[in-house]
Amino acid sequence: MSSVTVDHVEPGHGHGHGHDDHHHAMPTGWRRWLFATNHKDIGTMYLIFSFLMLLEGGTLALLLRTELFEPGLQFFRPELFNQFTTMHGLIMVFGAIMPAFVGFANWMVPLQIGASDMAFARMNNLSFWILPMAALLLTASFFVPGGATAAGWTLYAPLSLQMGPGMDMAIFAMHIMGASSIMGAINVIVTILNMRAPGMTLMKMPLFCWTWLITAFLLIAVMPVLAAAVTMVLTDRHFGTDFFNAAAGGDPVLYQHVFWFFGHPEVYIMILPAFGIVSAVVPAFARKPLFGYASMVYATAAIAVLSFIVWAHHMFTTGMPVTGQLYFMYATMLISIPTGVKVFNWVATMWRGSMTFETPMLFAIGFIFVFTMGGFTGLILSVAPIDIQVHDTYYVVAHFHYVLVAGSLFGLFSGAYYWVPKWTGRMYNEKLGKLHFWSSLISFNVTFFPMHFLGLAGMPRRYADYAAQFTTFHQIATIGAFWFGLSQLIFLYAMLRCFAGKGEPAADKPWEGAEGLEWTVPSPAPFHTFETPPDVK
Amino acid sequence: MTPEQRRSNRIIGLVLLVFVVAIFAWAMFKGGSLFAGDGT
Repeated sequence: MSSVTVDHVEPGHGHGHGHDDHHHAMPTGWRRWLFATNHKDIGTMYLIFSFLMLLEGGTLALLLRTELFEPGLQFFRPELFNQFTTMHGLIMVFGAIMPAFVGFANWMVPLQIGASDMAFARMNNLSFWILPMAALLLTASFFVPGGATAAGWTLYAPLSLQMGPGMDMAIFAMHIMGASSIMGAINVIVTILNMRAPGMTLMKMPLFCWTWLITAFLLIAVMPVLAAAVTMVLTDRHFGTDFFNAAAGGDPVLYQHVFWFFGHPEVYIMILPAFGIVSAVVPAFARKPLFGYASMVYATAAIAVLSFIVWAHHMFTTGMPVTGQLYFMYATMLISIPTGVKVFNWVATMWRGSMTFETPMLFAIGFIFVFTMGGFTGLILSVAPIDIQVHDTYYVVAHFHYVLVAGSLFGLFSGAYYWVPKWTGRMYNEKLGKLHFWSSLISFNVTFFPMHFLGLAGMPRRYADYAAQFTTFHQIATIGAFWFGLSQLIFLYAMLRCFAGKGEPAADKPWEGAEGLEWTVPSPAPFHTFETPPDVK
Repeated sequence: MTPEQRRSNRIIGLVLLVFVVAIFAWAMFKGGSLFAGDGT
């Protein structure tokens, strides 16, 4: 039994509140989606949107890898290549990973805490529907004079001060996406703090809700800082200020400080909810309660607090004093302690468990194994003298893709396979799921493992061309990237089958070892759930 | 959702919104003061 289980749910509270017998009839047609206030509908829209963005960002990545298959310039001018790298990063971070987790939060947080909906249902609608506008703005920036922004996803000054109108569009898009994230975060915080079912104390809450609560606090603390950074870039560009313009007495390094004060917590914004998903999946398929529930909560909080005090490890090469380097190096290393607690607890949960290896568990174990490798390379990068050697090389590219693809994305896949029976009322095809996992795991490593060696050998990131000695490893990476990209079509097919109503009907609790309120409602979850709060004892 | 819950939601939401606006303002003013040479 998980430490976040519910002792008792009063009969009928999770059931029998289907839309047909309720005074708020379920809207139909386009109105259901455009005017959606139901957390499940909005969650579904977030998930669809984020997958579309994943495809767009993935396509850009494959274009990059195509150009990099051989040295020299084959397909794209370097300016366009830089636009692709920038937009790939922006789309994946702000369009794919973050909205996907918000989709999971929308679907699962109210179900897991016994709430009828999110606290601010109309604001929830707004925070979703402004996202496609931002995505449209970002994508359309390719077609304005000068093309899209090419300053890298970090939008470093002074490059970002010199770009064409595509940069302004990116800034506006980031403002919109930031506003969406802030509204989503406020919604999650208020829902969790104020709308839990009676008896659902904070320390009984499923870990997914805990990780999202902490993530939401990170979001409201750092998204305004990003907004300020890009606003200062905007005023530098158009309104006569010189925050970052060295020629007029400004300081480009100031931009890096402000950006990374947002940027490092952002890394944890993209991984903490995945920790929550893995903490739900591992106990379910090990058929044991999560080992060290309280320590998992405290470790998550510790990671969040530490994430605020390590930002300048991204800036070792900017010329900071040795004392500054030492401080940021040791502070960064400290993060490995709570992260290690988490990895230890997941492994300890599996220890002597009655384990089975359905697709969600495979992705969770894959996550633990490969994310930990990304964590280790992060530890190596935290060592200032090493970081100075490999700064802005493919070693860094390999590191953060191990964390964000094998970390965040594998966590999302694990959660999707775990909860899709609840979302759609259908079981996914297990053979397809397993094929998706193994194909993704192997192709991921084929793509990104060689990049460590490219980086150590001196291959700089964001370059369209390279010296001939890097060719073989680049070719391996490109083959892996196409393999990985095509593997995601298996996921798309497996999910579409469920949403189309194909596949075995799912039981209310399709996983023997699963615990939590979400499994007390029918599959698929009715339009309205927990209108009368369950009594959690 | 009970009326008390609704009221309490609104209060917590507003407090969080004020927090967000304060951080944005702080980041802008801090950036401005650093730009003006006042690094303290």
